[in-house]
Amino acid sequence: MIKITNLEKIYRTEEVETVALNKLSMQVAEGEFVAVMGPSGCGKSTLLNILGLLDDPDGGSFLFNGIEVSRFNERKRADLRKRNIGFVFQSFNLIDELTVFENVELPLIYLGVSTSERKSRVEAVLDKMQIMHRRNHYPQQLSGGQQQRVAVARAVVNKPKLILADEPTGNLDSSNGNEVMQLLTDLNEQGTTIVMVTHSEHDARYSHRIIRMLDGQTVLENLMV
Amino acid sequence: MISNYIKIAWRNAVNNKVFSFINIFGLSIGLTCCLLISMYLFKEFSYDRQHALGNRLYQVGTLSIMEGKEDRFATTPAPLGPTMQQEFAEVESTVRLLKAFQDDKTLFQYKAGKDIHSFYETSGYFADPTFFRLFSYQFKEGNPETALNEPNSVVISEDIAHKIFGNELALNKTVHINSNTSGAYDFKVTGVFIPSKTPSHIDARFVMSMQSGEVGPWLKKLDDLANNNLFYTYLLLKQGAKPKALEVKFDPFIQKYAGKELQASGRGRKHFLIPVKDIHLYANTGGNVTPGGSVSYLYLLFSIAIVTLLIACVNFMNLSTARSSKRAVEIGVRKVLGAEKIALVQQFLWEAILLSLLAFVVSLVMTTLLMPLFEQVAGKDFTFSIQQYVLLISGFLLITLIAGIIAGIYPAFYLSAFKPVKVLKGRFSNSLSAISFRKVLVVFQFVISVALVVASITISNQMRYLRNKDLGFQKEQQIVIPLRTSTAKQIYPSLKNSLNASSSISSSGASIFYPGIDNVMDWLMYRQGDASDNTKQVFMNRVDDSYLQTLGIQLVAGRLFSKEFPGDTANRIILNEQALHSFGFKDPEDAIGKNLIMAWAGREMLYPIVGVVKNFHFEGLYTKIGAYGFLLGHSRDYGYMIAHAKTGNIKTTLSSIGTAWSTLNPNEPFEYSFLDQDFQKNYIAEERLAALIRYFTVIAIFISCLGLFGLTTFSIEQRTKEIGIRKVLGASVAGIVSLLSKDFLKLVVISFLVASPLAWYFINQWLQGFAYKTPFTIWIVLAGCLVAFSIAFLTISIQAIKAAIANPVKNLRTE
Repeated sequence: MIKITNLEKIYRTEEVETVALNKLSMQVAEGEFVAVMGPSGCGKSTLLNILGLLDDPDGGSFLFNGIEVSRFNERKRADLRKRNIGFVFQSFNLIDELTVFENVELPLIYLGVSTSERKSRVEAVLDKMQIMHRRNHYPQQLSGGQQQRVAVARAVVNKPKLILADEPTGNLDSSNGNEVMQLLTDLNEQGTTIVMVTHSEHDARYSHRIIRMLDGQTVLENLMV
Repeated sequence: MISNYIKIAWRNAVNNKVFSFINIFGLSIGLTCCLLISMYLFKEFSYDRQHALGNRLYQVGTLSIMEGKEDRFATTPAPLGPTMQQEFAEVESTVRLLKAFQDDKTLFQYKAGKDIHSFYETSGYFADPTFFRLFSYQFKEGNPETALNEPNSVVISEDIAHKIFGNELALNKTVHINSNTSGAYDFKVTGVFIPSKTPSHIDARFVMSMQSGEVGPWLKKLDDLANNNLFYTYLLLKQGAKPKALEVKFDPFIQKYAGKELQASGRGRKHFLIPVKDIHLYANTGGNVTPGGSVSYLYLLFSIAIVTLLIACVNFMNLSTARSSKRAVEIGVRKVLGAEKIALVQQFLWEAILLSLLAFVVSLVMTTLLMPLFEQVAGKDFTFSIQQYVLLISGFLLITLIAGIIAGIYPAFYLSAFKPVKVLKGRFSNSLSAISFRKVLVVFQFVISVALVVASITISNQMRYLRNKDLGFQKEQQIVIPLRTSTAKQIYPSLKNSLNASSSISSSGASIFYPGIDNVMDWLMYRQGDASDNTKQVFMNRVDDSYLQTLGIQLVAGRLFSKEFPGDTANRIILNEQALHSFGFKDPEDAIGKNLIMAWAGREMLYPIVGVVKNFHFEGLYTKIGAYGFLLGHSRDYGYMIAHAKTGNIKTTLSSIGTAWSTLNPNEPFEYSFLDQDFQKNYIAEERLAALIRYFTVIAIFISCLGLFGLTTFSIEQRTKEIGIRKVLGASVAGIVSLLSKDFLKLVVISFLVASPLAWYFINQWLQGFAYKTPFTIWIVLAGCLVAFSIAFLTISIQAIKAAIANPVKNLRTE
C-alpha cells in the first residue's frame, strides 16, 4: 500500500539546517499494523505527516497504492486524504464547538455524503465505539478516554484504507490506553492498515511490525510474532 | 455544509461573548450610521422625481455679470417666460412662480358665524394657471387643470384645509388672505392638494393665482427683461427638444430684448436651463425657491458612513486574526479531514456574514430608536412610501452583506492558510505580517478618530466665534415684531408710542429688513460726477427715525435720522463705511453733503448723503460686509418693528407688548422673535454639520476604542504567564501597565502624526467658506490629539491595571 524510497525532509531556518528524514525507505503492505518508534527528534512525526499528505517531502518517492503522490498539489492531496486516510492524534484534536455527533460527522460532510446517510453511518460508528449515549455532549464534557474514542470514531467513519495514529495513548491512563489500542487492533483485524507512532513499547506490541528510527533513518525492524 | 458553518459560527459567538459583543455591537453602530445616512442621501437624491412631465421641465436661471463678478441666481424678470414661449418653437408651455416675498408669514382669516379666526401660514406662492399642469400635485379636491385660472383663487394643502374647515369640503369656500406682498383680499378655494412624500424644491403650502390682489396689476407693469428679478420661470420643452440647443439661443435673445438697458447700467446677463430634477442638488444658484442641498455635504456624509462602517469592520478583522490561535486547532483538524482551502474561506466568510446579519437586525432597532434624534439633527422628515422603504431596506441588506464580506475576507484567507502540521502540534504563533497588518488597521482607526476630534473642536470654535463676534450692532435684548399686514403697519406708530411709554422698553424702531434676514432690496447707484455706467451695488433698507439708535449702530460722520429731521424722507441717505469705500470717498466727512444717483425708468434720482455709520454685519459671516444704505421711510413700508428691552423679566415685557398689540390689532395673533436667535438661523447648516460631526466623532472613537479594548484584552490573555513571571521577579504595577500599554499607545501616537496634516488641510478648506473666522492653530490639533490619546489610554489601562494587580501565583497556575 505504501512504498517510500529515499525520502528526504530538511527543515531550514536562517542559521540551522535540520535533516528530519535522511533518504528513508520503507514499505507497508495492505492490512498491516506497523508501529514506528524512536527517540524524540528522530523524524517519526515528520514521517507520519508525509504519509498523511500533510507535508511535502524534499526528495525521494512516495507511492500510495502504486501512485506517486509526493508531487500532488494541495487539492489532490486533500481529496486523496479525505477518501483514504484517517487520523488519530495524541491530543485528540476534537473541535470544541461541535458535539460528539457533529465531530464524527465532519469527514462525511467534506466527502459530500447525504444527511440521512451521514446520520446512519455516524450512529453506527458511535455505537461500535460505545459512546452513542454521549452523542450530544461537547468534547469538554468527556473524559480523555472517551475523547480519544470519539477521535477514533471520527477517523474511521469514512472507512479509510489507512489509519495514521500519532501517540494515540500519550494523553491517556493505562486502562483507557488499552481500550484505544484494542479498538485499533479490532479495526486492523477488519482490514484497515494502521501506522502508529509511539513511545510506548507496550502499545507497540499490538502491532505486527516495529520500525525503529534514529536521525531520520530506519535502523531496525522487529517483526512481532 | 452551510448549516454546519452557521452552527459553528453561532457557538463560537456564544462561547466568546466579549468578542462577539464587540464585533456585533461595533458593526451595529457602523451599520446604523450607514442606514441613517443612506436615508438622508436617499431623500436628497429623490427631490422632484414625482413630476410626470419632469423629464421636459426646466428652470431658467440667470447669470448676472457686474464689475467683472459673476452671480448665478434662480430668479428672472416677469416677462421672460412668456417672451421665450413666443420666441422659441421648442417651448411648449411656461409657468412663473412668485414667492410671497414680503411675507415671512401670511395671515389667513375666515368667518365662522360671527367670529373671525386668524392664523399665520408660511410658504405662500403666486403662480400662473399652468402651474398644476406642469408640476404634479395630488389633488384631493378641485381640478389641477383649471384651479388657478381665475384671479383671487387659491389652492391649499390638505392640512390648511383641515385647519380651516375641519372635515368639511373646502372647495369653493372663501378665505380672507392678508399678505404683505399682495394686500388683503378674499380668495376662493379652488383646490386642495395632498403633500407628496417625495420632496420638492417648491415647498408651497398654498398657491394663489398670479392675477390676485395687488400682484396682478403690478405684474402688468413689469415689461422689461433687465430688472425685478423676482420670478421663477419654468419651461416645458416639446418632446425631443434639446435644452443645450435652446440655451445657445438665449444670448441673442437677451441682446434683442434687454441689451441696451443692461449696457447702460454696466451689466451683462446670460440665462441657462436647469432640469427641475437637478435643482435641489446641482443648480448652485442663489435665491432659489428653497435653499439647495450641497453635494459636497452629501459626499462628506457618505464618507462618514463608509468610514464608520470600515472602522467597525477593522475591529472584526483585528479581533478575528488576533484570536486566530484559538481557532488554529479547528482549522488544522478540518484540513486533516479533507477540507480544502476554499471550503475554509467560505466557512469564515459565512461566519462574518452571520455576525453582520445579526448586527443588521440590531441596527434596525437602533435606527428606529435614533430616528427622532436624527430627524432633529438633520432637520428633515424621513417618511417614505412603501416602495421606497423596500428599496432602502434591500439596499441596506446588500450593504450589510458587503460589510460582512469586507470584514471577513482578510481573516478568512489568513486563517485558512494555516498549516495543519504546525497548528496541531501547538506550535502556532501569529505571523509577523498579520501583526503588522493589525497595527496598520489600528492606526487607520485612530487617524480617523483624531481627525474627527480636531474637526469637532474647530467647528465648535468657529460656531462659538459666530455666536460671540461683535456684529457692529446691539443684538441682545432685541425683540422683533413682524408687521405683516396693512393693519399692523397702520397701528405701528401707536404701538411704538405705547411701548416707548413702558418702563421695560428702552427704545424701538422699524424697518423693511433687519440684520440676519435676506435683504432682498439692492440698487445700482453711482456717485454724482462719475460716469453713469460706473454703478455700484448697494443693499438698501427703509427705516424709521429711531431704528438706527435702537440697534445701536455707530455714527461715524454726519448724523442719524431723527424726529428733528422729518424732511429726510426726501431721499436722504445714510451709508456704511463699505459704501463709502466703494464709491471712492476719501473719508467719512468728505462724503457728507455729496450725492449718489440712481437711474430708474429713464429718470435720475438724487440721494444726498447725510450720515455715515460704522460697518455692521447685515448678513451671516460667510460674506464680507457689502455697501449698505438707509433711507427714511413711512409706516406703510415697514415689515418689522424692533423693540430693545431693558434687562429684567423678559416674560413680563413680552406679555405687556402682547397686550398692547391685542388692544390695537385684535384680529391678528401676536408673534415675536429675538434678533440674536434670528441672526443665528443663518448658521443652521453649520450647526447641523457641527452636531453631526460631534455625534460621529463620539461614535468613531467609541468603535475604535471598542476594538482597542478587545485587542488589549486578548494581548493580556496571551501574556498572563509573562506578567506573572515579571511580578514574581519584582516588576511594579506601573511597570507592567506601561509594558502592556506602550505598544498600543505607540500606534495611537503614529496616528496623530498621520492625522494632523490631514485634519489641518480639510479644516482649513472648510474655514475658507467664511469671510470671518476663528484662527486655526496648532493648539487645536494638539488638543485633539490629547483628547484621543487620553481616551485610548483609559481604554487600555483599565485592562492593563487589572492584569497588573492580579496575584502572580494565580497567573502562573493558569498556564
